[in-house]
Amino acid sequence: MNEREPSADELLAMAYADGELLGTERAHFEQRLAAEPALAREVAQLKRLEVLARHAAPPEPMDHEWERLARSGGQRGLWSAGWLFFGAGVLGLAAWGLDCLECSQASWVPKLLIPLAILGAALLVGAAVRARVRTLRYDPYRDVKR
Amino acid sequence: MILTTTESVPGREIRETIGLVRGSTVRAAHAGTDVQAWLKNLVGGEIEEYTKLLAEAREQALDRLEAEAHARGADAVVGLHFSSCEIASGAAEFLAYGTAVKLVPRKS
Repeated sequence: MNEREPSADELLAMAYADGELLGTERAHFEQRLAAEPALAREVAQLKRLEVLARHAAPPEPMDHEWERLARSGGQRGLWSAGWLFFGAGVLGLAAWGLDCLECSQASWVPKLLIPLAILGAALLVGAAVRARVRTLRYDPYRDVKR
Repeated sequence: MILTTTESVPGREIRETIGLVRGSTVRAAHAGTDVQAWLKNLVGGEIEEYTKLLAEAREQALDRLEAEAHARGADAVVGLHFSSCEIASGAAEFLAYGTAVKLVPRKS
């Protein structure tokens, strides 16, 4: 066995996650959490383990079949091909729509505004994805199954 | 922290009622999950994606309730209830609420 001793910060994070820090000690730790992302990630990780530990129920019979399906090349191939064709189709349709618009006799107003609206929507989606990716590591509930 | 749906805790007496505590959350699945769930909806059976979404919301609401009870110095939350409703399509709102109390051992 070669387990290292937890550091002082790790012990504090454990105490905080368990609700054992009180008063000024708690307030001080919360100030540090706001300023130190690594410490906040440590607390989120501990919280995640605590949430998972609540679900100690054994797997259900169907779970094994779901796992086999998830490993099956055929099933993965179907999903991957489906998403690939669907994504390619959507992107192709968007490109074709823009091309049609460009070649049409429409005035410059829709020619400018429609791509602008599409660009705006893409930026909004990008912002939402960015926010989710940035906060995902602090979300202790993402591994909850049922 | 004891969380219970009953109005009392066996072997303990309620020394003080602190008051209502609650935790709520609204969580959504991403669009890809919604598409997979919609496809499963066509063929029947459990929609695991939404089971997971509901479970995530339940656990988060419960944690927020517990955090509030802890911050108010409670030993337990009795009369715990869950409530859910749909705010947006594909999103799960979960509310957990109960009464925060302080306990003492029951005198025999």
